[in-house]
Amino acid sequence: MDSGEAARIVGELGKLLPGRVSSDPAILRIYSREASGVEGAPWAVVFPESPSDVSTLLAHAYRHEYPVYPQGSATSLAGSTAPLEGGVVLSLERMRSIKSVSLEDYTVDVEPGVRLAEVNLALASTPLFFPVDPGSVKVATVGGAIASGAGGMMGARYGTMRDWVLGLTIVLPDERGSVVRVGCRTLKCRQGLDLVRLIVGSEGTLAVVVEATLRLAPRPEATPTILAFFPREEAALEAALDVRRRGMDALLLEYMDEATARLAAEARGSPIGVEGHMLLASVASTRESRGRHLAELEEIARRRGATRVYRAASLEAAEEKGLLEVRRGLFAGQVLAGRRSFPGRRIHVLIEDIAVPPSKLGLAASMIRAAAEEAGLPLGLGGHVGDGNLHPSIAFPLDDPRAAEAAQRLHEEIGRIALRLGGTVSAEHGIGVEKRGLLEMELEAIGGLEALRLMRGIKRVFDPKGILNPGKVIPP
Amino acid sequence: MCPTLPLGPHRGYGPRGRLAIAAMVAGGLASDEALESLYTCLLCGACNEACPAGIDIVSAIREARAAAAARLASKRR
Repeated sequence: MDSGEAARIVGELGKLLPGRVSSDPAILRIYSREASGVEGAPWAVVFPESPSDVSTLLAHAYRHEYPVYPQGSATSLAGSTAPLEGGVVLSLERMRSIKSVSLEDYTVDVEPGVRLAEVNLALASTPLFFPVDPGSVKVATVGGAIASGAGGMMGARYGTMRDWVLGLTIVLPDERGSVVRVGCRTLKCRQGLDLVRLIVGSEGTLAVVVEATLRLAPRPEATPTILAFFPREEAALEAALDVRRRGMDALLLEYMDEATARLAAEARGSPIGVEGHMLLASVASTRESRGRHLAELEEIARRRGATRVYRAASLEAAEEKGLLEVRRGLFAGQVLAGRRSFPGRRIHVLIEDIAVPPSKLGLAASMIRAAAEEAGLPLGLGGHVGDGNLHPSIAFPLDDPRAAEAAQRLHEEIGRIALRLGGTVSAEHGIGVEKRGLLEMELEAIGGLEALRLMRGIKRVFDPKGILNPGKVIPP
Repeated sequence: MCPTLPLGPHRGYGPRGRLAIAAMVAGGLASDEALESLYTCLLCGACNEACPAGIDIVSAIREARAAAAARLASKRR
C-alpha cells in the first residue's frame, strides 16, 4: 500500500472516529516501540472509547485490507505489540472502566485498558483480590495480560491468566467488526469448544477483547514470609523444592543469584545486606498456623545452609521491613549489571523467559551458566522458581555486532536447554516475533509440529484477511 | 504511578511517552501536541521512584522544556 493510500485511509478513519485518531508523527513514535525494543512505523493510532469504535475500525480495516495492531500498555517483552508493517495501532487505553464487582459471584467486569494494579486497588476494601501479578502490574493492562496469557510471582499457587478469565466480549476482524460474547459468568462453564482459553494467550492475533469477566480469589488470611541467603545456588534452589516437597501451600518462591541481588539492592537503595544467593518464600497460611509455618520455612532454609534468614509475619510486614525491595529490583539489577559490564556504552538487556519442571531447576541453572560463559556474555539469574520459571538476563553492547550475534545464539541455546529438560521456551512472556523460531523448535521437540497446521487454520477462521496483528506468534 | 497519565488522551501524558518526546525535542521533531504533553508534567517524581532502569525522567523532562523554549526563542529572533 502506498503512502497516498495510507493517508486516505487515515483521513477516512478521522471522519469515522473523530477525536479518536492521531497521525501526529511525534505521537506515533511513542506507539511504534514496545518494551522489548521491537519497533515499527504505523500510519496512525486509533483510540476507541467503546466496543462500537473497535467494530468500526476492524470493519474498515477488513474492507481496505490494512493491518491493525492492538496495544494495551505495550509492555510486551516478545515483540507481540510492535506495529511491524505500517497499518494502524489500536490503543485500548481509553477503555478503562471497572464495571462491576460481585462479592458473592467472585467476579469483576472490566474494560481492557484497566491496569492490573487498578483492579486490586478497587478491591482493596474487600476480602477478594485478582491474583495474576506480572512484574509490570502497575502499567500492564487487563487486555494485555489476557492477550499474553500473563503469569507472575504467585504463579505457583494461582497459575496464570488463563485460569482467571471467565468470559470475554470480543470484536472480530470481519466485514462488520462483529461483536461476540464468549464464556460464562460462572466458574463451571461448558460452552462447546473453549473459545475463552483460545483467546487468552493468543497475543491479539484472533480478536480484540473489549470487555472481560475476571474471576477473583479470597486473600490468604496469613502470609508468613522469609528472605534467606545461601552460599550456593543449588542450595537455594533445593530449599525452594523442599517447600514444595513438604506440601506447603507456597504463595511465592522467588530466586535471585547473589551478583544480581547485590546490584538490585544497590539500585533500589535497599537496607537489606545481600549475603549470598537469595530466596524469598511466602506461604498461604492462617492466623493460628502462621507461627508454625514461619518456623518451618526457616528450618528448611537453615537445613540447606542458609547463613541468614529474615522473617516476617506477612507479606505486608515483609514489605515494611524492606524484604521485598531486592526482589522488586530484579530488572534494575539486571540493567545495572549490564552497565557495569560495559561501562559508558549503550547496552541492551535481553530478559529470557523459560520454564522447566521444578525438579530440573538446579540442572537448568548450571547449564545456562555454562552456555553464557561459552558465549562470553554476562548473565544474571532470577526467577519464579515455585513453578520452574527462570528469567536469565543477558546484556550486550549495542555497538558490537558480534556481541549481538552471540546474544542471539545464547538466547536460542537457552531455549534449547529448556526443551532438553522437558520445559518450554516461553513461560509467560509469549511468542510475539522473537520466539517464533523457538516455538517451532519446541513443537518439533515434543512431536507436535502438526499443531502449527491447526493453529494456522484457526487463525484463518478468525481473521480471513490476516489483518489482526500479522507477523506474530505463528511462524510463517 | 504518574498522576497525569489516566487523565490524558494518550500515552504522551505519562513518563514513557514524555521521555520519548524529550528525546525528540533536540532534533526538532516534537509537534505542538507532543510539547503540550511535555508541559503538563507535574514533575512530581513518581516515575523516578518507579523506573526499574533508574532513569532520571524528571530531569530529562525539565531539560527538554528548556530546549523547547530555547528553540522557540531562536525562531522568534
